[in-house]
Amino acid sequence: MPNSFTPHPSSFRDPSGFIFEKDGVLYRQVNEIFKEDFDFFVSSGYYAKLVKQGLLIPHETIQENLTSSSDYYLTLKPETISLISYPFEWSFDMLRDAALLTLQLLKESIAHGMVLKDATPYNIQWHNGKLIFIDSLSFEKYDEEKPWIAYRQFCENFLSPLLLMHYSKLPLQQLHLAYLEGIPLAITKSLLPWRSKFSLHTYLHIHLHAKVSGKESTANNRTAKFSKQKLVNLISSLETLVTKLKTPGQQTAWSAYYNEAAQRDDYLDRKTEIIQGWLTKLTEVKTAIDFGANDGMFSKLLASNNIKTIATDFDPICINNLYKDIKSKKEEKIQPIILDISNPSPSIGVNNTERIAFLKRAKVDLAIALAVIHHLAIGKNISFEQVADSFQQVCNCLIIEFVPKTDGKIQLMLNNKKDIYNNYTEENFTQAFSHYFKIEEKFPVGSSGRVLYLMKKHG
Amino acid sequence: MIFLLYIDPGSGSYLVQVIVAAVLGIAFFFRNIKNYIKAFFYRSPKKPDDKSEA
Repeated sequence: MPNSFTPHPSSFRDPSGFIFEKDGVLYRQVNEIFKEDFDFFVSSGYYAKLVKQGLLIPHETIQENLTSSSDYYLTLKPETISLISYPFEWSFDMLRDAALLTLQLLKESIAHGMVLKDATPYNIQWHNGKLIFIDSLSFEKYDEEKPWIAYRQFCENFLSPLLLMHYSKLPLQQLHLAYLEGIPLAITKSLLPWRSKFSLHTYLHIHLHAKVSGKESTANNRTAKFSKQKLVNLISSLETLVTKLKTPGQQTAWSAYYNEAAQRDDYLDRKTEIIQGWLTKLTEVKTAIDFGANDGMFSKLLASNNIKTIATDFDPICINNLYKDIKSKKEEKIQPIILDISNPSPSIGVNNTERIAFLKRAKVDLAIALAVIHHLAIGKNISFEQVADSFQQVCNCLIIEFVPKTDGKIQLMLNNKKDIYNNYTEENFTQAFSHYFKIEEKFPVGSSGRVLYLMKKHG
Repeated sequence: MIFLLYIDPGSGSYLVQVIVAAVLGIAFFFRNIKNYIKAFFYRSPKKPDDKSEA
């Protein structure tokens, strides 16, 4: 079929164009209806400027109607994003930087006679070590008399979660899962403490906004004129507010993990040595996931071997610290993601296909799971078979550390719970993993009693 | 809590932006005066409209 293509399940809201897949390649079609705005965006030099500044994903223009649709104007082939991630997987600082990027783009757009017509974190993705805007059809010609069409979207998608996290000092990323189109202002308003009304910017953008937008619009509302200066003030106010917000919590139960682990004889040195030895041999490995990355020590080892690594941890503070570290060091090969292996992000949205489940999205050459198995098997009563099944869905190769029951950490866990884990043996572990993987090599890690395994998926 | 399902969710934001912009206009007017006076007395190298805090 010459014209077979699959429209992307998340690309249906905007009539300006859509994303589709053809022969395994992702394209974006610009529709005839958006011709004028898109031509202005490119011909004014604004597109080139944003790409040069590293704020927008670059694309190639393809003069071919790959979808055979009647409203076709242009086909774009954007640079490939290695792993699409969602705001419920981002840490506080990541979401805040995404909000600031949106405001920066809006400000620049106004200076170029354009405006951002939407403000959703789903238009921002991780690309080569930083967050970047990916929707090249979000820029339209600016009418100075009109207020910002995406103002409410910005407040619900960025301000609401950031303010709730700031005031509660809790990691509430998961709210994005419940409210796919942003946390409704009425809900944010009720959840924020009373004192938040004393912050001018919070009062205006959340409390007053919630109150006024609950009222029906009248013809007068629509005719009230806006101006460029008013929009500039609005952006300035949003920027001041977002910049002032404080990251909830810097310390975590895990933050001292490596300091403590390093003191255990030669444990970390030996572990690094074994893994480095394997990485040198695994030349086919180009992409990896680090499950339980903590401060990213082993993700950095993978990155130093030129492997693009997704560093995951269920602890939002660990991931936030790692994000700040990556940002300051301009580390391009590590993508930080909040992920609980025992409850990975599900498929949600329209037809449950709009945002894709993590295990379906992430496909890598290698997964590493160091000192993780006991947290799943003993901490959460998950069977070895289930853990092996999770890992085999995303990788071809697996480096996994087995922690024996005699280990001090497991004994600590068992202090407060009944030992019902008779099946927690190395023999059962290897048997369960052998169902999906072939065990290639194993090494004891120094005198710790722990064992590192290198496995490859069958077939 | 009332959810108005039959009005365009953006329409209220249209009105609120007009109000918010008016309040901000006043707030920023006084802030600029404050910054100008500060700059005059302290001979600060900061420009009156410099808001960078980070």
